[in-house]
Amino acid sequence: MKQNIPVRLDRRIYSREELCGEYFILWIWDDNLSRKCHPGQFFEIRAHASLLDAFDARSLPKLYKPISIYDNADGRIGFFIKKVGAGTSALAKLKAGDKLELIGPLGNGFNPVSNKRVLLLSGGIGYPPLWYLQKELINHNKIFWLHGGANQDDVFPCDEVWTMDGSFGKKGMVTEGLAPLILEKKINLVYSCGPIPMLKQAAKITRELGIRHYTSLEAYMACGIGVCHGCAVPIRTDTKEDIEAGTSIPQWDYLRVCKEGPVFNAEDVMWSML
Amino acid sequence: MKQLNTSLGKLKLNSPVTVASGTFDLENLDFFGQDFLGAFICKTITRHSRIGNPPPRLYESEAGLINSIGLQNPGLDKFISDILPRLNAALNIPLVVSISGSSITEFAEIICRLEMESGISGYELNVSCPNVEKEGIAFGVHPEVVFELCKTLAPFTQKELIVKLSPNVTDIAAIAKAAEAGGASSIALINTLWGMAIDYKTGRSQIKMGVGGYSGIGIKPVALALTYKVAKAVKLPIIAMGGIYTWQDALEFLWAGASAIALGTANFIDPLAAPKVFAGLQDFLAEKKLGLQDIIGKCEV
Repeated sequence: MKQNIPVRLDRRIYSREELCGEYFILWIWDDNLSRKCHPGQFFEIRAHASLLDAFDARSLPKLYKPISIYDNADGRIGFFIKKVGAGTSALAKLKAGDKLELIGPLGNGFNPVSNKRVLLLSGGIGYPPLWYLQKELINHNKIFWLHGGANQDDVFPCDEVWTMDGSFGKKGMVTEGLAPLILEKKINLVYSCGPIPMLKQAAKITRELGIRHYTSLEAYMACGIGVCHGCAVPIRTDTKEDIEAGTSIPQWDYLRVCKEGPVFNAEDVMWSML
Repeated sequence: MKQLNTSLGKLKLNSPVTVASGTFDLENLDFFGQDFLGAFICKTITRHSRIGNPPPRLYESEAGLINSIGLQNPGLDKFISDILPRLNAALNIPLVVSISGSSITEFAEIICRLEMESGISGYELNVSCPNVEKEGIAFGVHPEVVFELCKTLAPFTQKELIVKLSPNVTDIAAIAKAAEAGGASSIALINTLWGMAIDYKTGRSQIKMGVGGYSGIGIKPVALALTYKVAKAVKLPIIAMGGIYTWQDALEFLWAGASAIALGTANFIDPLAAPKVFAGLQDFLAEKKLGLQDIIGKCEV
């Protein structure tokens, strides 16, 4: 998917939505930005904290946080966020009218498809990018959404839900239900996003069944624009052996989640190294 | 835009604001014009490609960032065929190429090869990366090795020869003096400090390699002290870095003796840090009716 040149801007939060548990949604309006976004892309966002303000306030400015696009329609862009650390806790304090700093849209999104029998697999905060994706896919594909969480506070609208503690839906790891569903629904394409152990297990299952599987990875980031190489993950590449030089060039490389990702073919991810 | 001219050895800079190797690339110039920068220092290049360290490579601590990238880079040949032409096409400010090696011969090999290319204004010898074993930092901690390295490399080039020093040493002034005696034309300091973070619940290191390099606002007092010490010890111009986020921070380093400063972690914290620092310096100097030369090294104790 073609990448747009990301922009850096400040936008007022138009509205804020409270969800269950630690989850909330921040909405902004921007027609131009909205037209540039694709499912699977993300923004680096932060509660407004300019460096000049920071000096005066003697508070320490922190890094932007990579947050995927949850929804995007006619100028309205949504960020569906879970409060986990210092950065997302600062975002959690924001309300309508507050300023949000943004860099984006960033990364390569999901490739659009049609006439497929698609299974969406999400775990916890892996849910948001798949929501935007299913909106784009729904008119031209058959979709079944399988979602898992630790408990009932991690559950969002979908077709089948699993929780680790059994407080809602089926009890256990969501991937336990994956293979039977793929066979029963005659699925031929899987999109996934969630914690690494879940994705690892899902990749194993889809490989065994020979099902194409694209996965969106999460990583700790600093720049978000491909500069710092901090978000690297091991991905199999097409690099060949250099017979002439007599050296064995690795068949995998550390690729950047922010630049070459966040969406990768699950078949190419070196899961054993993660 | 009025210029804030300064010089770094043989280099004339239109701005005292530059960027630290590995924290800034052409992508950043999507956000502001390069006129705000005195020079562009690219990510460190090694003779052969380096795959880098396993993830996680980053952790944001209370007052800065711990990184463990491990000098991931495509190597000298790819740099010359792919990266250098792109940098030359995009830049109209001096390009400084940061290089590192595992032996003096390897440094010499890289410089000799790069001397055949056009569009390079200087070299920064990275002898101080804390994230690679037996490379880089092994050089930076011994004054006699730094002397030997500079003495070997200086005859190969007429361009600016910058040595980037590590703070993870007993006596940084002795190393700076060795660089000066060996023929370096300026000093860059500081590279990152050793840094570590552990998940208190699980006991697991937040960085896969255990220890990484610590940068950002938390290291500013250390960087400032070392800038001051080195400025007192050598006549070479200094390009100072280490936790500079704002124009006020930049001024402190100029007072301490730096001829130019570099932004590193600040580029991640705020992509517009460089133009903000430039504008702040410009306004301050105009208001006080001062030039940069009235500030550089004029710290009162």
